[in-house]
Amino acid sequence: MNPFLTQCRASFEMQATLEEGVVERGQRQAEWTRFEALGWPTTRLEDWKYTTLSGLEKLSLQNSVEPREEVKGVPPSLPLEGIPAPRLVFVDGTFQPDQSIIDGLPKGVRLRFWPDLDAPERERFTHKMAPARALTAFGALNGALFTEGVWITVDAGCALEAPLHLVKVSRTGQRMSHGAVLLELGENSELTLREHCVGSTDQPTHSNWVTAIELAPRARLTLVKVQQEGLLSYHTAALHALQRAGSHLQVFSFALSGALGRNDITLRLIEPHAECVLKGVYRVADRALQDFHTSIEHDSPHCTSDECFKGVLEGTGRAVFNGRVRVALDAQKTSSRQSNHNLLLSDKAEVNTKPQLEIFADDVKCSHGTTVGQLDEEQWFYLRTRGIAADLARTLLIQAFTLEIAEVIPHFGVREEVRRLLSGTVGGNDHV
Amino acid sequence: MLSIKNLQASVGDKPILKGINLDVKAGEVHAIMGPNGSGKSTLSNVLAGRENATVTGGSVTYQGKDLLALAVEERAREGIFLAFQYPVEIPGVGNVYLLKAALNAQRKHRGLPELDAMDFLALVKDKMKLMEMNESMLYRAVNEGFSGGEKKRNEILQMVVLEPSLAILDETDSGLDIDALKVVSHGVNSLRSPDRAMILVTHYQRLLDYIKPDFVHVLSDGRIQRSGGPELALELEREGYAWVGNETNEGVVAP
Repeated sequence: MNPFLTQCRASFEMQATLEEGVVERGQRQAEWTRFEALGWPTTRLEDWKYTTLSGLEKLSLQNSVEPREEVKGVPPSLPLEGIPAPRLVFVDGTFQPDQSIIDGLPKGVRLRFWPDLDAPERERFTHKMAPARALTAFGALNGALFTEGVWITVDAGCALEAPLHLVKVSRTGQRMSHGAVLLELGENSELTLREHCVGSTDQPTHSNWVTAIELAPRARLTLVKVQQEGLLSYHTAALHALQRAGSHLQVFSFALSGALGRNDITLRLIEPHAECVLKGVYRVADRALQDFHTSIEHDSPHCTSDECFKGVLEGTGRAVFNGRVRVALDAQKTSSRQSNHNLLLSDKAEVNTKPQLEIFADDVKCSHGTTVGQLDEEQWFYLRTRGIAADLARTLLIQAFTLEIAEVIPHFGVREEVRRLLSGTVGGNDHV
Repeated sequence: MLSIKNLQASVGDKPILKGINLDVKAGEVHAIMGPNGSGKSTLSNVLAGRENATVTGGSVTYQGKDLLALAVEERAREGIFLAFQYPVEIPGVGNVYLLKAALNAQRKHRGLPELDAMDFLALVKDKMKLMEMNESMLYRAVNEGFSGGEKKRNEILQMVVLEPSLAILDETDSGLDIDALKVVSHGVNSLRSPDRAMILVTHYQRLLDYIKPDFVHVLSDGRIQRSGGPELALELEREGYAWVGNETNEGVVAP
């Protein structure tokens, strides 16, 4: 057993001391058993072929066992500046009431937290989290070790204008955090969720969250996630969404820093006329790796999906994109687009990209396209003939490549904020 | 202002320019004409600093400086402007951003204060009127989705904003209808002044009806075969380029 697993087992055993019921204990045990059965992900597995966890398995990380480990007052080390209300703040996987601002939320928005749930609620929560936890071995690990969960429900017809900020800070080195988010949107409701994953330590950390989404008919959700993890951080995340008739889901995912990031995203269109948009950017510099495994499942007719990921790779950076689109036999009149474009800025950078289309229906419009290329010399030359310095011209072109994704974020404030983030130094500290 | 001496350049292994000699003084407009493949575009590219053409011999002096030793962006800041034959589309970079960054890079280089947003917009809007361009084009990405004519207008807009000392127009008339050609020519003519020079690279005489050159040079097989006044362009229009090739074949030395 590697040091990482040894520590996970120790943590799992310590959790027996938590004041949880027999049912919860049984569920944790079941997830742990499943995690052990799946085995540690190695590159021998198809889903992990290009993503090695050899760095993570050497780490011996502590899990927070106490459900509430609170940060009081205004600690300067928390990167919360400029994050407006309403906001939910989690530090090292633990909810921080003192740092969060949730008064003023409309009545139709309800927040519940795992430690406060009664037994039937816990059972329902666990049941609804199951598809997200089923996506990877880390999902199973989450089910066994999670210490925090938040259940967000938006009532039918309730539209929240201001984005709700979900802030996950990895603050303490040598720590892992396992949290769960359940988002339920009622009919005709609307929400923008801005998810911040921020590292504030140079020490190794592991953040392993799962998110489950259920959209009732005609509900509209925009989820904008930005990973700005520390240089030695590991980030694994699973997202599972169920979309009912006429619902509209937009997921934007920006993986901007961290040693290794792995996002497993599955969006299921299970009733007619549901629409999803899945867009993202990954930027990797020296020794970093970002991996997106996405799956869009058209289970019902007349649904639309639009997916586009863009990658910028520098130095020895590596990335993986695996885009599965499945169109079930009776999902006629499906319209699906997928693209993945990569900018390789060094000879040593590497991207493994794989579109995976499984189409069983015959009356569908499905397209996909992949490109891997360098900066356009003509564009670079053109900018320089206008007096723009060579370095700036290069930076401008790289930014322009990724900004295209941010341009389509519907909420103005969030769009501008992400635009600013993308216009920062490309590739973080390891700028070549 | 510009002195080209025995300039030789290759693209790949192929010699394209085989000894160009040309002197351009302030206030002058020179037209360089020639058949396809004569080296016209390579000449403008070498002057602007494009790296796909390798200079293998000769020299280019611009305002007393060794032009070939300057980086592309330094040439631009020193007042050289190349209007592209095929202006490049740059999605994600705003037209207005490029104009402002370009103008301020040049001003900074000359020790002038950078223009603030207000002064800059006033200046640009004024120039856009001259080019009969809609202001909404400012807020679009550089040349993205522009028609051929719009792209050429945008080139000349950049030129009239940057007010170069030496403007090189590479086939600016190609792809323009007669109305657009008039607008573009009007923009170019507005820049003519005793302290500014222009080089018009063109296949056809048509552009020269609107922008009158002081000198016309005929380029063929990498050399200037003949030089003369505006009447030379008319002669070319009548006779075509066939005779140029003949003379070369017969080994007639260009004047």
